[in-house]
Amino acid sequence: MIDVIVLTMPFLLEGLWMTFQISSITILCGSALGFVVGMLRTLGGWPISATLGIYIHALRGTPFLVHLYVIYFVLPSTGISWLQLEAFPAAVIALSLYTSTYVAEIVRGAIEAVPRGQAEAARSTGMTALQSMWHVVLPQALKLMIPPMGGVYVIIIKGTSIVSVIGIAELVRAGEHATLRHPRELMLIYGMTALMYFAYCYPVLRIARWAETRFGSVRLSS
Amino acid sequence: MDWIVEFYNWRVVIQFIPEFVDGISATLWISLISLILSLIIGTIGAIMRMSANPVLWRIAAGYVQAIRSTPLLIQIYVIYFSMPALPLLGRRLDELEGGIIALGLNAGAYMSEIIRAGIESISRGQVEGAQSVGMTYLQRMRYVVLPQAFANVVPPLLGQTAVLIKDSSLVSFIGVFELFGAGLTVLSERLMPNEAFMTVAACYLVIYGVMLAFSNFAQRKLGGART
Repeated sequence: MIDVIVLTMPFLLEGLWMTFQISSITILCGSALGFVVGMLRTLGGWPISATLGIYIHALRGTPFLVHLYVIYFVLPSTGISWLQLEAFPAAVIALSLYTSTYVAEIVRGAIEAVPRGQAEAARSTGMTALQSMWHVVLPQALKLMIPPMGGVYVIIIKGTSIVSVIGIAELVRAGEHATLRHPRELMLIYGMTALMYFAYCYPVLRIARWAETRFGSVRLSS
Repeated sequence: MDWIVEFYNWRVVIQFIPEFVDGISATLWISLISLILSLIIGTIGAIMRMSANPVLWRIAAGYVQAIRSTPLLIQIYVIYFSMPALPLLGRRLDELEGGIIALGLNAGAYMSEIIRAGIESISRGQVEGAQSVGMTYLQRMRYVVLPQAFANVVPPLLGQTAVLIKDSSLVSFIGVFELFGAGLTVLSERLMPNEAFMTVAACYLVIYGVMLAFSNFAQRKLGGART
């Protein structure tokens, strides 16, 4: 048993590194996109808000697995050259789009959780709508966004397990390969894989919970 | 109209309607059984989590943490591939059983947190008020605590059920036929990813829409949604 752990560990760690890369890039891209969507949804007029609402519902209403297949298999068949995506960019784009819906809802919830009086007071001192958003509302809203973001990052990390279907050698894929080499030690290898995810996700959840007691939080509509 | 047929040949989809209907009904059945399982696990988990016994609440808390910090796919693999033959059953779990148990265990952790939050949201004064008018424990539960807890819990439970329905697509990885599997069938038989996965996406959206309408109705009806 020890020798199987020693033999498979390097492969699993390589997979973990890939999982880490995908999740980090997605955390950056997904948060940025989600922030833009959430801001537009609160600031824009109703046509923008309604369009983005459809975007969010369409992505929330379908499984991530379907997004991944649509981006990896359906988009290339449109024949447009820049939509012929390799596995890695397809995975990152699909995960980022999925993440952006969660982040957008958090951003909107946090902005709406800042009392109206704050924005009204800022406007009455002569600030424009953008100035009041930038100098008064956003700094307060940002603090509220930190705790639920921890939950979203865990969703991303867990979501990376699904991109193994399009052939990316991340942690689950590495585990599957290891089980092919040591078919008797299935339980051990999948247990090790699960432990690695745990070691990655649990600290994030703990930090999120700490941030929640420190900064307060907004309710997330799931 | 040619460009539509080129991108989405609905005539092919019509040929596969039986597969998609079977897929939808399989998805709904799998979700329903997993939902019942998860509600049972969630209720037991919530009661254990609120118990004063440190062994009980630590087990429940550890279970929730373990489920929340690992991906569902790994949970499915562990339960389906790694389980040895069960002593009572005399055989290993088949795909469907493994998938449903994994989904139920996964959703159960989230359900237990929702149920616990719902019960804890009932203020102490409500119970004390009921006690002071002479209600027994069962009466207090029946007329005071549970109706309020129920109203608080149903909207997030419906949200989690929507997540469960989407997550059930992952059991196609271990070879269970459901809605996503129907899409995979079209892909493998006709090599038509557009027809396969756009249809699957549309079916999931319809299910989601029904869930959303139901959730809005429940919120209005119960009036307990203090979001």
